[in-house]
Amino acid sequence: MLNNILEFLQAMADQTGISHFWWGNLVMIAIGCTMIGLAIVKHYEPLLLVGIGFACIIANVPGSSLILPGGLFNYAYKGVELLVIPPLIFFGVGAMTDFGPMIAHPKLVVLGALAHLGIFIALIGAKALGFSIHESGAIGIIGGADGPMAVFVCVKLAPHLLPQVAVAAYSYMALMPLIQPPVMKLLTTKQERLIRMKQMRRVSRLEKIAFPIVIGIVVNLFFPPVAPLITMLMLGNLFKECLVTERLYKTAANGLMNVIIIILTVAIGSTMTADKFLTFKTLEIIALGLIAFLGGTASGVIGVKIMNLFLNEKINPLLGSAGIASVPIAARVSHIVAAQEDPENLLIYHAMGPNLAGVLGTAISGGIMLALLGVK
Amino acid sequence: MIVPDSVYGAVLLSIIDFILSIVMISGVGIVLALFPLLNRLGKLDEEKIRQAS
Repeated sequence: MLNNILEFLQAMADQTGISHFWWGNLVMIAIGCTMIGLAIVKHYEPLLLVGIGFACIIANVPGSSLILPGGLFNYAYKGVELLVIPPLIFFGVGAMTDFGPMIAHPKLVVLGALAHLGIFIALIGAKALGFSIHESGAIGIIGGADGPMAVFVCVKLAPHLLPQVAVAAYSYMALMPLIQPPVMKLLTTKQERLIRMKQMRRVSRLEKIAFPIVIGIVVNLFFPPVAPLITMLMLGNLFKECLVTERLYKTAANGLMNVIIIILTVAIGSTMTADKFLTFKTLEIIALGLIAFLGGTASGVIGVKIMNLFLNEKINPLLGSAGIASVPIAARVSHIVAAQEDPENLLIYHAMGPNLAGVLGTAISGGIMLALLGVK
Repeated sequence: MIVPDSVYGAVLLSIIDFILSIVMISGVGIVLALFPLLNRLGKLDEEKIRQAS
């Protein structure tokens, strides 16, 4: 009789998640809680970290059906895997973005490529550590500091690394105010940080309307592998700038964007299961991601210093680090570091130019990488 | 796959990608430098467009 009761209880326990729970799940639940804590206490990217953290916790509770085929989190991941969600994120970003600073100062657009040397440092580093060339490309793109682009390229090159790449990209983006300033200060003199930029010209409505159309054509013509992202970015921006689709652009920039962020964050968090995440490779990817961010920041600043050798009208080198794509965090960091030397030096508007060019730069780098690796 | 799966391949990929990125984005910069020419076509009356919608 007692044996039968114990057998029944054992059978019941087997049907719950308790029997499959191991220490790795506990570690990942702690990581999920830390993310939520950072979002609430430190305000680090709360819109992203709360969803990722919660989904990470749930994904590590054995027995949770949300992450299994047919579960809602699994459908959210399908949206990422099938590359539906990243273009929609770009659509919303486009509707929220004023490309005026980039159009007004085309000289600074090249910083969108110069600040991405970190991508290639991480790529070579990853390959040297034994990752495959496709995995190395996916890790390298973390240095672009563009979350949706990192997700997009990673899904195409090495989908099994998505949780590590996404977490590294979004975490370092949130930590940019801590990562970038020491590098920026180390590579610049006080005089350079004090350089004031000339007032920009006013960009007309016609130019702002032409911009998304021209870039949409250029990107689809030259970079088909990443065209879905930039095309949607431009569509969102056209809705904003044409003035006759106010309802649509407001929906894209607000309601739709919020829905997509929810889907993206739970999709990423749901992939952070202990068996996939708690490996030595994760530590390597996290370290390479940091090297990529530091390298990108340094190359942007050095790039401006090299440009200054040939220019009569000097550019503040702090704008170089804004060439990293993370909009508008990198631009804000440039402004803050400049303001520490001269509180009246308003660099934010100037920094938005290279910052927005960084989005294009990451897309171009990613597109060329996919093309060279033979991925469509 | 065009690029060999080796450190040499990674270096090659990086050099080509970095140079092409600079060339391409400079091209975008050149196109943007021509944008002020668009204003010769005329000026859009923003108030009128807003009212029409």
